[in-house]
Amino acid sequence: MEMMRNIPLFTGLRKLLLTVLLLVLIGSNANAQPPIKAFVVKKGHIYITLSKNIPAEELDAFVTQYSLQELDLKTFFKNNRPDSLLKLGWDINLNNGEMLVLSKNMLAADKLTDPVEKILLAQKHFNNGYGYANKEPLYGINRFVKKYPFAVKDSLVTFFCKGNSNAGKVMLAGTFNNWNPDALAMQKVDSGWIAIVKLGHGKHYYKFIVDDKWTIDKDNALVENDGEGNDNSVYYKTNYVFTLAGYADAKKVIVAGSFNNWNRDEMKMERWGEGWLKHVYLAEGTHTYRFVADGNWFADPANTQQYPNEFGETNSVITIGKPYIFLLKGNLNAKKVMLMGSFNQWRNYELEMRKTDSGWVFPYVLGHGNYEYTFEVDGRKPVDALTGKEKPNETLILSPNHTFRLKGYANAKRICLAGSFNEWSPGSFAMRKEGNEWIIEQHLLPGKHVYKFVVDGKWIVDPANELREPNEFGEENSVMWMKE
Amino acid sequence: MSSLLPVKLLVAAVMFLTAANSKAQQVAGKDSSKAVLGYGNAQQKTAAANPFERDPVVTTDSTDFILPFSRAGNLILIKAKADAIEGSFILDTGAPGLILNMTYFRDYPLTEHYAGEDGGGITGSVAGYGHTMVKKLSFGSVNYFKVEADRINLGHIENSKGIKIFGLLGVQLFKQFEMIIDYENSEIHLHHVTKKDGKNYQHHLLADTSTYSVFPIDIMQNKILTYGKMGNKKLTFLVDTGAESNVIDSRLSENVLDNVIITRRMVLNGAGNKKIDALYGDMSNLKMGDRSITSMPVLVTNLEKMCFAYDRCLDGMLGFDFLSMHKIGFNFVKRKMYIWK
Repeated sequence: MEMMRNIPLFTGLRKLLLTVLLLVLIGSNANAQPPIKAFVVKKGHIYITLSKNIPAEELDAFVTQYSLQELDLKTFFKNNRPDSLLKLGWDINLNNGEMLVLSKNMLAADKLTDPVEKILLAQKHFNNGYGYANKEPLYGINRFVKKYPFAVKDSLVTFFCKGNSNAGKVMLAGTFNNWNPDALAMQKVDSGWIAIVKLGHGKHYYKFIVDDKWTIDKDNALVENDGEGNDNSVYYKTNYVFTLAGYADAKKVIVAGSFNNWNRDEMKMERWGEGWLKHVYLAEGTHTYRFVADGNWFADPANTQQYPNEFGETNSVITIGKPYIFLLKGNLNAKKVMLMGSFNQWRNYELEMRKTDSGWVFPYVLGHGNYEYTFEVDGRKPVDALTGKEKPNETLILSPNHTFRLKGYANAKRICLAGSFNEWSPGSFAMRKEGNEWIIEQHLLPGKHVYKFVVDGKWIVDPANELREPNEFGEENSVMWMKE
Repeated sequence: MSSLLPVKLLVAAVMFLTAANSKAQQVAGKDSSKAVLGYGNAQQKTAAANPFERDPVVTTDSTDFILPFSRAGNLILIKAKADAIEGSFILDTGAPGLILNMTYFRDYPLTEHYAGEDGGGITGSVAGYGHTMVKKLSFGSVNYFKVEADRINLGHIENSKGIKIFGLLGVQLFKQFEMIIDYENSEIHLHHVTKKDGKNYQHHLLADTSTYSVFPIDIMQNKILTYGKMGNKKLTFLVDTGAESNVIDSRLSENVLDNVIITRRMVLNGAGNKKIDALYGDMSNLKMGDRSITSMPVLVTNLEKMCFAYDRCLDGMLGFDFLSMHKIGFNFVKRKMYIWK
């Protein structure tokens, strides 16, 4: 604050300093120095310094490293419009033909005396494999570092523990043998130890036991904490191979899709003859994807199954598992009927149904879960023939494993269940009355779930469940833990 | 490295200019945060006037005992029993005393209310944050009677860690103890310090004085403080088993922050949807007593709100990344910290 009063004193000095700075910078650029990119913190402020001649790839990497996506620096370099940067709290300290310097005051978290806020602030955000949280991922790729991936033949996987040639015995334990340390002896080979294990598709955890000492696989970069402080190596038995013929001249080919939120930095494909490939595990369901070759996005030229996307182009489609046949009866005079639901983020341009003699059908593959869906008939939601009102959404519960019950409320007209497991849908998952209670089945993943009942539009906690926690509306939600 | 020189110069100069210019900056824009720090709703507790002033009555079945622990990520989980309710509690030396999760302790009468309505009832309005009392708390061989406790919502920690958390065990519970944390073997050695110990008492793990160094600690307002040095600057740290990262204040002088290389940034959602910058990096050249810590991972963020009485402020927190480097022990009665070599 003291400094603010002195601002007039600084204006002259500032001009002088900027001139000096520019000279320094121009001087440094004249010597063909590599482009400057710096991210530092000083006296409570973040400072970002970037040369304007920074190559696009280097800028992309810098933006990713420091999560600067919302600054949209590429656009700023083109149009020099500062509004969005200023709005985000950044000051432009220097902006000329060669250099951009941004700074930002780092705000303080307000409630650091609250132990919860402090624990959440200081926690490690990048390790997202805690507890139950990551047991059933949508996808997975192996990341071996100094050795080839495990050899796979049909369902048999050859686990390989590199080195340890002086060890007396090496055992293999994992989720596939209930972590039994005595069940699976590895055999010594030239370069290490091997064991052949029959595995189903999906995510498996394992460790080696070298002369009675448990150790993770040091040549496998995939390590996850089990939520109780133990690190385990992770192996995905893959069930799909992305392949792309050609593009031999491309420097980098990526596959990105709905399964990894279209992340264009994650899944680098490997060179394979005159093309590219990537082994992945994909969970049951429907996935859409595209390839990115040196920054250019395109659908898989070898895959005929494609859905339209939001850019008026197409995404390629993979399905894992058996389809569920969605059916809308009648409406035979309609020109176009679309299927949309929570499973495809309610996109109304993606799933076009096929006309049959009795109505419209669409086969769609889904993994277990609680889904809500509806149709669009020539751009309109289906209407109830009697009342003329829009029909409510329909629901689909695949692999139900828990029944919610609410006693009483004999006079209620409609009771719905809304929770974290069905995207808090307020009015679609209707309970049915059986005797003196209302019931509904749902599919729940292991772990924590929060929910409420909606009785004729009024939200209530579960009176039979003592566990509750506050929600952001100043009320409470019921809490339940689903065991594995 | 010569190419870095202009950058340093530039940053230094620009910083100088900006400091002159510094004003409250508005943070706006659409929600692009990557992680939620807290929800900061109306029910956030406001500090109680005199929490955790009365120490509980402590009895031990045996004055020395070993407490095995499991972990939630890098947090220490201890099985404890509060009256009839048994479950996992986080050992959190960053918390002043016993903290209960209101989800599992909702029936406890409050002796003092913090902000928030005491409603309850069928619509599920919040039962209220506040201060309460546990008749008996036990873990390992120790029993506490008449334990003051704060009751708040720990749901966000549960969501983040994916496991049930019944509460936090804070500093007040350990004030009469010597505590040695062995992360490698997942156990805590506890010794109840009493007058019976005699002048020559020494924990058997501390018998060989050549294997560890001794550092002073202070306990102020149920905070464990220790000290380090960076160049000539003395730094005050909170010793915090509830912090997975070490934390350093972003407002520290250049002499300190020049020793931190930032490798990653995250934007966290603070209370009231405020965006909080969290910078991750490596800090070198920290000295603690006779020990030099050549490099340790740190989180750099604004710790303005961590100041406490008499304008004492914390320069940082030493969390799991520091505490787990070596076996580490505390004697909260003698106010000493032991770090093994």
